[in-house]
Amino acid sequence: MAGLGRAALALSLALVLYAALAGGYAAWRRRRRLALSAQNALLAAFGTTLLAAGLLAAALLRHDFAFTYVADHTARALPTVYTLSAFWGGQEGSLLLWLLILTGFSAAAVWLNRKSATDLVAWTVPVLGGVAAFFAFMLVAVASPFATQVAPADGAGLNPSLQNPYMVAHPPMLYLGYVGLTVPFAFAMGALLSGRTDERWIVATRRWTLAAWTFLGVGQLLGAHWAYVEVGWGGYYAWDPVENAALMPWLAATAFLHSVMIQEKRGMLKVWNMLLVILAFCLSIFGTFLTRSGVVSSIHSFTQSSIGPWFAGFICVVTIGSVALVFRRLPLLRAKTRLESLLSREATFLYNNLLLVALCLTILWGVVWPLITEALRGEPTTVAKPYYDFFLRVFGLPLLLLMGLGPLIAWRRASWRAVSQTFLVPAGIALAAGVALLVAGAGSSIPGLVAYTFSAFVLASIGYEFVRGTRARRALSGGSWPGAFAALVGRNRRRYGGYVVHAAIVLLAIGIAGSSAYQTVREQRLAVGQSMEVGAYTLVYRGSESRATPQGSEIRANVDVYRDGALVQRMRPGKNRYTREQQDSTEMAIRSDKLTGEDLDLVPDYDQRGNFYLKAFVKPLVNLIWLAGIVFLAGSLIALWPDAREQRRLVERYATRRGLVEA
Amino acid sequence: VARKRSPARLVIALSVAAVLCIFLLYTSIAGGGTPSLQPGQLKGRTGQVTLGGVVASEKGDARSAAGMRFVLRDRKGTTTIPVVYRGSVPDMFRVDREVAVQGALRNGVFVAKRDTLVTKCPSKYVDKKS
Repeated sequence: MAGLGRAALALSLALVLYAALAGGYAAWRRRRRLALSAQNALLAAFGTTLLAAGLLAAALLRHDFAFTYVADHTARALPTVYTLSAFWGGQEGSLLLWLLILTGFSAAAVWLNRKSATDLVAWTVPVLGGVAAFFAFMLVAVASPFATQVAPADGAGLNPSLQNPYMVAHPPMLYLGYVGLTVPFAFAMGALLSGRTDERWIVATRRWTLAAWTFLGVGQLLGAHWAYVEVGWGGYYAWDPVENAALMPWLAATAFLHSVMIQEKRGMLKVWNMLLVILAFCLSIFGTFLTRSGVVSSIHSFTQSSIGPWFAGFICVVTIGSVALVFRRLPLLRAKTRLESLLSREATFLYNNLLLVALCLTILWGVVWPLITEALRGEPTTVAKPYYDFFLRVFGLPLLLLMGLGPLIAWRRASWRAVSQTFLVPAGIALAAGVALLVAGAGSSIPGLVAYTFSAFVLASIGYEFVRGTRARRALSGGSWPGAFAALVGRNRRRYGGYVVHAAIVLLAIGIAGSSAYQTVREQRLAVGQSMEVGAYTLVYRGSESRATPQGSEIRANVDVYRDGALVQRMRPGKNRYTREQQDSTEMAIRSDKLTGEDLDLVPDYDQRGNFYLKAFVKPLVNLIWLAGIVFLAGSLIALWPDAREQRRLVERYATRRGLVEA
Repeated sequence: VARKRSPARLVIALSVAAVLCIFLLYTSIAGGGTPSLQPGQLKGRTGQVTLGGVVASEKGDARSAAGMRFVLRDRKGTTTIPVVYRGSVPDMFRVDREVAVQGALRNGVFVAKRDTLVTKCPSKYVDKKS
């Protein structure tokens, strides 16, 4: 079986290499039939990779410990779902999943665009083949998932804290995002190589970028939620290099999603878009490099291995090659139009891009800072939370404000008078909200107050946009208010889906500001019957009880929670002891207030004499972060939903343009 | 026809300048981060650092007034340093695990700041053999 797996992977490598080399030659020499065979090789590579993946999955499910990979990452007692999720639990399996998604995406993207963009696809196939060849080579020569050994009686098993549904979904989500960014990158390179530098590559890959970006965003939120409920430190994001590794490509892709709209509408920023898609793709490879090579010290300990230098080399080749290609094609990338005014929709998109890229690069700077200082001064220096928090405020708050300003400013050139009229209502609402918050005591944190006032502004301006649009549609075609609203969103899914995503980002900002700027933390040693105050709560310790469990033992503290003098809940934080793993696991207790989104988190601790210590966090509005995830997904789906009308429009547009070129 | 130069360049130039200003401002305030060292690199340093290494031995109670005392060893070496720590101890803390803690060296003992002890968490399936 392992031999068959190895053979399937070797075949995949051969096929993608053929797609890269023969495809490149065919596109260069304009050999139509050879190009078609390269395309078919790419499609076939998906089949062989799928076979390899199926073999590994079968080995996992059969507990075939003769596979080193299976023995290292599972055990007989492991529940089936976690046995299967061990597929992406280790390095070799992760790489195989990566190649599987990459070949799958490549096949789909090439197949869907084979008729509408033949000349572009001819050059895209070799690029996709080249990227896939790197991963296939790693799987065949460096990190094979089909290594075998003498089968042990049982496998090594899985750490208890990772046996969590969020941890099943989080890594593949991120992979779908990382790999998805390859598609726009490959089409961009295809456009440069073929010399067809119009907006076609953007149109062909718009949904791919959006989908990849959605997966990355949702994947990160799942990881954050896991950290919040499972790790028990009252936080959800620690600015750790490995977490930043996923955030950076997401930020670059966010900038890209915005700036391509300017290119589509106004034919500007062509070079910038190329550079952004290169940045996003390179950062997604860099993220894998970072997590796997161990060059930067992180609290996440991944299996460190020999694949680091390979990835570093691959990043260098991709960066140098693609940037050189952009320079070579500079004459073709000249903008047809210019920015007419600094007060226009395009200009706000430009500001948004600069801020997003600045935030992305400052995070990158923080991540590689230990490497730089080690090279310069001989000892690594790390920057921590204050550095990142500072830049999140400096770049994040203006970004938040721009989300409210951008949609209300006209394309090309807006007059100050028109703008000030449009902004009267949202600005008034924001001001009123700011004053109300100040009265309510939100002034205890200036960044928090600013974030909330800006959030009110953005929400007001989004609401205003929806009202204005619905009213206009109703005036145009009559009908009911809900009907007009549905027609409005349905006819312009991209725009209104985007607004919904903006609303999600506002919820996220409110949640982050609320849970960090306005949180209350208390820690106290409690004897039985003693109480402590935290926020509006009074916590009374009623003693602990322990009992035996199948895996070991557990202890639970009974903590009565009072609010305004009334008992609202008995919470039971505690510790589990896993005898086999010789490991204690803190089980924090969370009480969510559905109405206000506030959480009360209790983290218990015992000293060696059995004294009880309780750390309590009151985190206002933290649940808005998870709500933001749902709204984010909804907005992305609206924007992603296929739109036949838009498709027809695009087909017509590019058909006429081609006609003009030929004439 | 003489066209006006695009204001986009001006915007980009100005924002690059602004970013550089903020950077200078920030690094002058915060001093550019804390050094992260291993026990072998600590000799004679008294400033605040992040000390990383492998736990060689541990005794005492981090909740007691005297604190927990543990010995930290270089990841790939033999140099050790005694550490005194108070506060909460992560679940994963144990002999032979890799940890990091903030603090400063005082008379040959690394005095850790309260609640700064972190262990490397297993983000992936842990291989017991390693």
